[in-house]
Amino acid sequence: MIKFQKVSKYYKPNVTALKDIDLHIESGEFVSIVGQSGTGKTTLVKLIIAEERPSIGQIVIGGWDITNINNREVPYLRRQIGVVFQDFKLLSKKTVFENIAFALQTCGAPKNKIHHIVPQVLKIVGLEEKGDRYPYQLSGGEQQRVVIARSLAHKPKLLVADEPTGNLDSINTNEIIDLLKKINKLGTTVVLVTHNRDVVNSLKKRVITIDQGQVIGDQSRGRYVL
Amino acid sequence: MFSVEFIRVLKFALQSIFRNFRLSVVTVVIIILALFSISFLSVFNLLAQHVMDMVENKTNVYIDLTANATNEQAAILIEELKKLSAIQEAVFITPAETLEQFKERHQNDALMLESLEALEGNPFTGSILLSVYNIDDFPVILNELSKKDYAQYLEIEDREFTDSKLLIEKISEYSKKIQRFGLAISLLFLLISAMVVFNTIQVKILTHREEIGIMRLVGASNSFIRFPFLIEVLIYSFVAVIILMILVYPLLALSQPYIDNFLKEYSVSLVSLVNHNFFLLFGIQFLAAMVITIVSSLVAVRRYIKV
Ligand SMILES: Nc1ncnc2c1ncn2[C@@H]1O[C@H](COP(=O)(O)OP(=O)(O)OP(=O)(O)O)[C@@H](O)[C@H]1O
Ligand SMILES: [Mg+2]
Repeated sequence: MIKFQKVSKYYKPNVTALKDIDLHIESGEFVSIVGQSGTGKTTLVKLIIAEERPSIGQIVIGGWDITNINNREVPYLRRQIGVVFQDFKLLSKKTVFENIAFALQTCGAPKNKIHHIVPQVLKIVGLEEKGDRYPYQLSGGEQQRVVIARSLAHKPKLLVADEPTGNLDSINTNEIIDLLKKINKLGTTVVLVTHNRDVVNSLKKRVITIDQGQVIGDQSRGRYVL
Repeated sequence: MFSVEFIRVLKFALQSIFRNFRLSVVTVVIIILALFSISFLSVFNLLAQHVMDMVENKTNVYIDLTANATNEQAAILIEELKKLSAIQEAVFITPAETLEQFKERHQNDALMLESLEALEGNPFTGSILLSVYNIDDFPVILNELSKKDYAQYLEIEDREFTDSKLLIEKISEYSKKIQRFGLAISLLFLLISAMVVFNTIQVKILTHREEIGIMRLVGASNSFIRFPFLIEVLIYSFVAVIILMILVYPLLALSQPYIDNFLKEYSVSLVSLVNHNFFLLFGIQFLAAMVITIVSSLVAVRRYIKV
């Protein structure tokens, strides 16, 4: 599903965010990416969704070589990847339903499709009763579940989540992780970037550890080692 | 599919207009100001052209014959004049006809008629009505006439030609000055409105940065993200031109008396002048508004929406 070959990323000639990354993530996997702050985890995610281009190397996503993808094609890549990013929360003036519908509207989905899909993804995240609420009427965990629901709107084969539990307490964190596991069981490849030691240890899934821009560990039933 | 997307883009554009409504209003006002200066320039040009045409077409002039010229001599003279290539027509007007015309012109002027009655006989001499193809030829013809030996039958008074010539020169001189001034003002306003539109779109993009970020993340196409801002400025242009149309007519009516007073017999109805050139005039306005707004919003969009 994801293939990095000798990928390096320099932001400026002197800022090396990632160096010589070789990575294979198969379809249906659940992979955690861990590492200290500033080691290049978010950069890795940005390379996957073509927000950034690699300086060196080759990236293939779902059989599509996106190494030199042009700007016109990027939206079509994004429609195949669900993305949960720290920076992109919910729109506060829209209801839960409208927030998810927005993702479909802006990609030209017809109305009946929107009315079919939105309840479906709300059901997956367990918020089918709360579609009419505004974000401020939800708890932090619920808000994050809506963000995840939005990322599922295009029924992606791949879900990439960068610190989805960043500001949440342990109960909400566990709910989000359970949700990601459920999504993975439904057949979606999940890439989870996290700082959270307990989450990684309880998952008992593949863990890739990055340090200073390089992969220093890749275990199939890994633990948080740093 | 296309129409669904188009309707959504339109909806986003309208939302953007109303979300920061005061800014939208200011932008439209500035565009109107720019268009207004262009309108002024255009109407002025039309007016100047009209007056020039009228003066240039006034190529008829009377040349008085001396009192001792006989009708036969006049007839020979006319034959000669007709041979000149610059002359379109030459007609003999008898003293009696001149008197008739004079009476007619002053039929409401009792005093004038009375004093005419007081004179014995017809005070007028005969005259020749000359029409030429081009007003510029008058001096040449004058020269011709005064050289020939039939000059003794003519009372050449070239005041009338010089008046027309002077008027034309004056008009073209003034209109060049005003055109330059108008052009400078128009360019200035166009520049200002381009900057204002750029600034407006920049602000609108910043107000929408959350939405734009999410759109990009979920895979909205680049054109879908950018189009609302172009539609938005198109709507500004359209509204500005409509408002301009509504404002122009009362302003034309208001300035009509001044124009009449200034141009006297050469004056023309400004409204009909504008109506005659309606599509040209407002087409130019709309085109100018579109170019300015589209270009500056494109620049803003390229600059502030990363793809
Ligand atoms: N746009 C950028 N321009 C220049 N340098 C950047 C840019 N983005 C990231 N960097 C640098 O690249 C390195 C990796 O950043 P990155 O965001 O990938 O780290 P991270 O592992 O996600 O950190 P965190 O855990 O704190 O989120 C950092 O040193 C950062 O300063
Ligand atoms: Mg990060």
